[in-house]
Amino acid sequence: MAWISKKWTMIGIIQGLIVTLKHVLQIGNRPTVTVQYPYERMKVSPRFRGKHAVDEDACIGCGICEVNCPNGTITIVKYNTRWFPQFDLGMCLFCGLCVDVCPMNALKMTGDYELADYTRESLIYGPEKLLFKKEVNK
Amino acid sequence: MNAYELIVSILYSIDVYDLLLDAFRSAGMEYALRVIIVLVELAVLFGFVLITVMFLTWMERKVVAMVQSRYGPMVTGPRGLLQPVMDGIKLIGKEDIIPAGADRWIFTLAPFVVFVAALLVFIPLPFGYSLIISDLKVGLLYIIAISAVSPVAILLAGWASNNKYSLMGAMRAVAQDISYTIPLALAAIAVVVFTGSLSTVDIVNAQSGTLFGIIPKWFIFITPLGFILFLIASIAEMGRIPFDFQESEQELVAGFFTEYSGMKFAMFFLAEYAHLFAVSGIVVTLFFGGWTGPVLGNIPVQITSLIYFLIKTYAVIFFAMWLRDTVPRVRIDQLLNLGWKIMVPLALLNLLFAGFVVTAGVI
Repeated sequence: MAWISKKWTMIGIIQGLIVTLKHVLQIGNRPTVTVQYPYERMKVSPRFRGKHAVDEDACIGCGICEVNCPNGTITIVKYNTRWFPQFDLGMCLFCGLCVDVCPMNALKMTGDYELADYTRESLIYGPEKLLFKKEVNK
Repeated sequence: MNAYELIVSILYSIDVYDLLLDAFRSAGMEYALRVIIVLVELAVLFGFVLITVMFLTWMERKVVAMVQSRYGPMVTGPRGLLQPVMDGIKLIGKEDIIPAGADRWIFTLAPFVVFVAALLVFIPLPFGYSLIISDLKVGLLYIIAISAVSPVAILLAGWASNNKYSLMGAMRAVAQDISYTIPLALAAIAVVVFTGSLSTVDIVNAQSGTLFGIIPKWFIFITPLGFILFLIASIAEMGRIPFDFQESEQELVAGFFTEYSGMKFAMFFLAEYAHLFAVSGIVVTLFFGGWTGPVLGNIPVQITSLIYFLIKTYAVIFFAMWLRDTVPRVRIDQLLNLGWKIMVPLALLNLLFAGFVVTAGVI
């Protein structure tokens, strides 16, 4: 008798229809989960791996990040008489190895994920875009 | 009374008709006035249908979004209401590509045939009291016959595209349409047995009044089996999601309109939603009492009946969209088994039941 109840009463379809109707009417805990992206944004998690940032005071320009980068994203360039890494984000896979290997903890990754651009050249982020100064605790 | 007589009576009541008639008669072109009135009513009908259909695409996206806990279109206009307008502008601006190996003439002809067939279904559909273009004596037969034109055009489109996915989608669409037109027509014939007329206006008039003094005398309460069969068969004929073999995206890219772009694609798309609107209107006419409803004070019956008709039609449309978001696609052999082994015998049984009820004089 089971096949009769399943095939001919269409119980499964009716149960499914009730579930979807609950979503339409937002009965129970079924809020709208997406956001209107350009106008409102979701909070990124604190360990999100977005665009890099280089601590200007800590970086010694040693080049260990350049050596460890699996994609050859990093080149060390001269900037204001000192050496700093330059990131070609078109190549970067955001693995975070450069951050892990930095001996001075000068590198970190920010939550900035809106990196789309029109040309490959504009994806090369030099020290002028990446440097930041850590606030000194007194 | 049909829309032509309604326009004439409105013109007459504001004392314009005699003036117009005299003006045309003095020029010896009395027929021109008739032609102009007919063209005006057709323009109103098709304009109304096209605008409704455009916003049905918006409604579909909104309903899908609500089921999936999303917003849907929100940016263009209030609550994204102008999104179909922007889609139309985008599609007009697109390049019209005809594939190299395609049969150019048939490839161009097919979307027009589909579109015209989808619009012609509205001619004998009563939108309200006297709001009907032409009350054909064979209205229901006309509707079923015109609906049978679109699979031919779909096969033309699939064949002319010179693409295996298009051809396969078109073949499936034709197989599906043929196997589901039979239960569709049989379920509709049961209603005809009750009313004794193929005219849509007679079918609506037969549903005014109440059964046992409480529930309205709609045919859904008399033949619920016929209603379920008609609904399933019409959803299958529309090619909507539980039965959308003609364009099953996971297998056939987009089915028979894989190769179409720009305005031709837009015509297929509009025809699909025009078909949805038409079929919902036919379901309402046959099983939900058409435009009948309680009379409200001194508001003209034309307006209230139009509102009743649209409320019922949108309820059926919402059900079709709701079903689309709920159930997955069945397999092609399951579809044909359902059509031939279950729906056709049940439709014949329903016809027998209708004959029995009418002969016994229950209604």
